[in-house]
Amino acid sequence: MALTQSSVVSAHHNYFINGMLIPGFLIGNPDSTLGFYLLGDFLLPGESTPRISCRFFDENGDFLGELIWNRLRHNSTKCVHKATPYGFHISRPSGDLIIATSTKRFPNGYITSIGGRLYDEKGALKLDHEGSSARLGGNDAMILKAPYQGSLDREMKNE
Amino acid sequence: MNRGSCLVWVFGDYGDYFQNRVTLQLIAKGKSLAAELDTRLGVVVLGEDIGQYVMEYAAHGADVIYAADHHALKDYDVELFTAVVASWVGIYRPEIFLAGATVFGREFFPRLAKRLQTGLSADCVALEIDKESGAFVQTTPAFGGDLLADVITPQHRPQMATVHPGTFRELSHDPFAIAELIYPPVPELPPRKIEVIRRRQERAHKASLKDAKVVIVGGKGMGSKANFEKLFQLAEILDGEVGATRPAVDAGWIGEERLLGQTGKSVRPRLLITIGTSGALQYTSGIQGSETVIAVNRDPSAPIFSVADLGIVGDADRIVSLLIEELNRRL
Repeated sequence: MALTQSSVVSAHHNYFINGMLIPGFLIGNPDSTLGFYLLGDFLLPGESTPRISCRFFDENGDFLGELIWNRLRHNSTKCVHKATPYGFHISRPSGDLIIATSTKRFPNGYITSIGGRLYDEKGALKLDHEGSSARLGGNDAMILKAPYQGSLDREMKNE
Repeated sequence: MNRGSCLVWVFGDYGDYFQNRVTLQLIAKGKSLAAELDTRLGVVVLGEDIGQYVMEYAAHGADVIYAADHHALKDYDVELFTAVVASWVGIYRPEIFLAGATVFGREFFPRLAKRLQTGLSADCVALEIDKESGAFVQTTPAFGGDLLADVITPQHRPQMATVHPGTFRELSHDPFAIAELIYPPVPELPPRKIEVIRRRQERAHKASLKDAKVVIVGGKGMGSKANFEKLFQLAEILDGEVGATRPAVDAGWIGEERLLGQTGKSVRPRLLITIGTSGALQYTSGIQGSETVIAVNRDPSAPIFSVADLGIVGDADRIVSLLIEELNRRL
């Protein structure tokens, strides 16, 4: 018998992570200048597009790029961003998938699934997927109950 | 009890959702019961890809949602659901557990009550916490519907009840709501004895009684099928729908899909005109949410007048004909 898992759920939008619905999550620190992080931001009613941000590396720990609110930035390795009807894919120039999102719309809400493989700066696997649910490595994911208010927010507003 | 506990539960029956609103109605009622008991309201949801229902229940007032998102639970299966929910009741020990008196609720809840060795009040028309004793009072029709019985379960837990759809009003959808979500362990499941091969949606009936703002109900007092047909004219003029009592359905004047009451639908229209109906409890339990009730019956002592806001004593067919004539003249 599996253990009890607990989370919170939003009535408006949730991510399907580790087999659970969660309204937003953060792993790592977006304020650090070098390290891995992954942010699935909390959406308020009226918002329908999930905001994903992450700094991602390859399996050797070499920097590949950074995604801020679904947009590729600091993309020196020429990763490819492709929009899909339900979200987006980001892949390496070789075609290997880095991260993909897919948002399912219901009459009264949205659920976003995340797929792909993300590694941190040490080459450790931090995100993998199993079926439609992403698996986050480690136990340091923080559940967000409100929109993230860190430096990413400031950077996008200053554009 | 305390606010951290979650001792009032509702079974999340999402079959035929969004038409079937009974779970949302029970969440609203359960929430008020939970507040009286100084505890929280939990909803139990089993199935596969149940995310949208979990979110709906959060939006409609659930404080805690106990969920199992499991391929083996993709179809309603009374044995599997009983095994899972019984094990969760053993873990969390709710005081009160409610379900809609739907096709599945009527099959599932008696079996669950038996498994838990507790009582079950079926087709309740009212649920209250007795202010003096603190007992959970479940009001249900008894003795063929001639009496209303107040049932309490003093010794066994949980106190279980099924409630007819439409008995309570749901809370409005709150997209800002956030609920606690718990995935309790799923016990080892017994082998599935029934495999669902195919689902076929029955063609929707024209009648949309549950949403109608005006409902005209005919009973045996209409006298004949031809007389009963006039109710459709009256309903058309008032942009309403036609319902019926059991004797009218049994007489073959109208189909079962328009039956109101304990064994049929519950309605909550703004205006309900009930014609040639005696007012048996089995019927009136299905119309008690109506805002205004006008009753027509030739017998001034008919019980229907006790639930009516306005009563007309007279021949049902004669009154219907007059109403049609007058409304046609005015509208």
